[in-house]
Amino acid sequence: MGEFLDFLQNNLADFWGYTGIANATVGHFVMILVGIFFIYLAVAKEFEPMLLIPIGFGMLVGNIPFNMDAGLQVGIYEQGSVLNILYQGVTSGWYPPLIFLGIGAMTDFSALISNPKLMLIGAAAQFGIFGAYMLALALGFDPMQAGAIGIIGGADGPTAIFLSSKLAPNLMGAIAVSAYSYMALVPVIQPPIMRLLTTKKERVIRMKPPRVVSHTEKVMFPIVGLLLTCFLVPSGLPLLGMLFFGNLLKESGVTRRLANTASGPLIDTITILLGLTVGASTQASEFLTLNSILIFILGAFSFFVATASGVLFVKFFNLFLKKDNKINPLIGNAGVSAVPDSARISQIIGLEYDSTNYLLMHAMGPNVAGVIGSAVAAGVLLGFLI
Amino acid sequence: MNIKSLGIWSSLLLALVAFSSCGVEENKSKVVINEILMTNETNFQDDYGVHSAWLELFNKSYSTVNVAANLLRCSDTPGDTATYFIPKGDVLTQMPPRQHLLFWVDGKPNRGTFHVNFSFNADKDTWIGLYDSGKHLLDEVRIPAGTLKTDESYARIIDGGNDWEIKGGSDDKYVTPSTNNKTLDKNEKMEKFEKHDKSGIGMSITAMMVVFVGLILLYLVFKLINFAGTYHAHSKAGKTKGLSPEEVRAEMRKGDTPGEVFAAIALAMHEMQEDVHDVEETVLTIQQVQRRYSPWNSKIYTLRETPHK
Repeated sequence: MGEFLDFLQNNLADFWGYTGIANATVGHFVMILVGIFFIYLAVAKEFEPMLLIPIGFGMLVGNIPFNMDAGLQVGIYEQGSVLNILYQGVTSGWYPPLIFLGIGAMTDFSALISNPKLMLIGAAAQFGIFGAYMLALALGFDPMQAGAIGIIGGADGPTAIFLSSKLAPNLMGAIAVSAYSYMALVPVIQPPIMRLLTTKKERVIRMKPPRVVSHTEKVMFPIVGLLLTCFLVPSGLPLLGMLFFGNLLKESGVTRRLANTASGPLIDTITILLGLTVGASTQASEFLTLNSILIFILGAFSFFVATASGVLFVKFFNLFLKKDNKINPLIGNAGVSAVPDSARISQIIGLEYDSTNYLLMHAMGPNVAGVIGSAVAAGVLLGFLI
Repeated sequence: MNIKSLGIWSSLLLALVAFSSCGVEENKSKVVINEILMTNETNFQDDYGVHSAWLELFNKSYSTVNVAANLLRCSDTPGDTATYFIPKGDVLTQMPPRQHLLFWVDGKPNRGTFHVNFSFNADKDTWIGLYDSGKHLLDEVRIPAGTLKTDESYARIIDGGNDWEIKGGSDDKYVTPSTNNKTLDKNEKMEKFEKHDKSGIGMSITAMMVVFVGLILLYLVFKLINFAGTYHAHSKAGKTKGLSPEEVRAEMRKGDTPGEVFAAIALAMHEMQEDVHDVEETVLTIQQVQRRYSPWNSKIYTLRETPHK
């Protein structure tokens, strides 16, 4: 009987060793709280719910403590585990291009085609990437890590994940979470900067309504866009290729089923997998480091710079434009490619100062140009640093 | 934009194509001959423990290449060329990306896939060729008589590179069978960045220039397309109205009629038609309207609301 009790006692002790309670650390609880906070932001504040819910829940999944030496194959970093298999789409970088396929299939580039000069705003907003790059170098990150951190300023989650998986895989979790967090916080970050850098007179500038874009132009855009950008920056091919391909599916008008799949079920599936695994990759032991904190600071900085450079560029550009052709600088923030949030911010702030001045369509131009610009910038960084 | 500037931009585009490096030829073969050792006394041993001559192939691509059914040819006498057919069916003939494969040049093909049926004579001018299964030359090397001493190899300085050197004579030029000809023990690119562009300004300026150039190109092309499209539409309309080309251009300068004007006209016409109805239609038609997906009509699904205060 005594032996049997010993056996039971040992079994229970073994079991206790496997429980999350026995293996929990302060870091796990911190990350679980962050995950719950993300879910709160998504549910209560409706900040990017489609991203923050999977990421927030992924943080809970990734921070359930377990005995790492037991070889249970449950952790995201344990080879062969289910989460690890799903995570391979992130580490080998094939989720982001699929997301771009969906983005291409749901994006209407008409605003940009009708007023192509708005593309330059999308380029100007990429200063945020390189501002953060320089600051990261100054803080002691090596050029590859700095490049991966800088791309947070591109405000494009898939691009950030794609680039960091190539340049600094060990920082990818922090970079992805930082990029998505700031994208969710666009309504909080951008308006004060926009108000600070513009005058009342500038905020009420009315822009000419966009012209009607023909079907031929819409079909030509993805083809010409791909050829021009990828001949210049072939390293941007995975992202730009898929973005323009998705757009051709939409605009050709003859592949509606494919476009619907790319912009619906496919992008939803990948968003779920990407969000969950990126969230789960924030395992406390890997994530709670000084570098992660620095990345969050640099991410905020890059968003500030990107927004400011977009707005200031429009003001500068206006110096060269005729009086009836001026651009409202409130659409400068939309060069930050958080589609369509930053464009909506332009609209909301614009309406505050003139309730009949609708800027959404105009802001969509730099917004989608920002997507192209950040993918080109990612290609440039990849080309230079690898 | 007029016809003259259209011509200028088209010429610029053509010049860009003309100045591209389309015409530059280089060895496109994925697999190349990378290193050859003709007289082996104390160097690498084969799986039989024998010091034999060897030649090394290198897969310079980033994809796996199977060299089975390729041909290795060697000649040290004009008109007399030995050919070794690399056997099929051996999984080891698959060369992973950026990896090497060593063949023992001992004239003993019965010792396995990687023992060829010819041998080298360092005292004679030697030519070695690698052919694909279609007998197209992939790569060739000529080694003049007496170039290589015992245990010296003739190798590309960098794997897959164009320049060759003799290895084995000194500590910094060592023979490297089945491994990289030059060991990259540092990241030169990163070191250059750290030395010349510590602050990242150079990189930022260059990269921003590329981003701007990319989007400016796109802007110019679409400006051009916009112009061509508008001109085409106006000239078509002009033809029906019987306008001269000058008058068409004058029409174009006035600009497009904004969509809002068309909307207002359509609304006015609709209202008018509604007003003139004296007899109501008695046939009720229900038409199913299929709306194509657009982010504009599905915000409810994809966008979030601005936070309520």
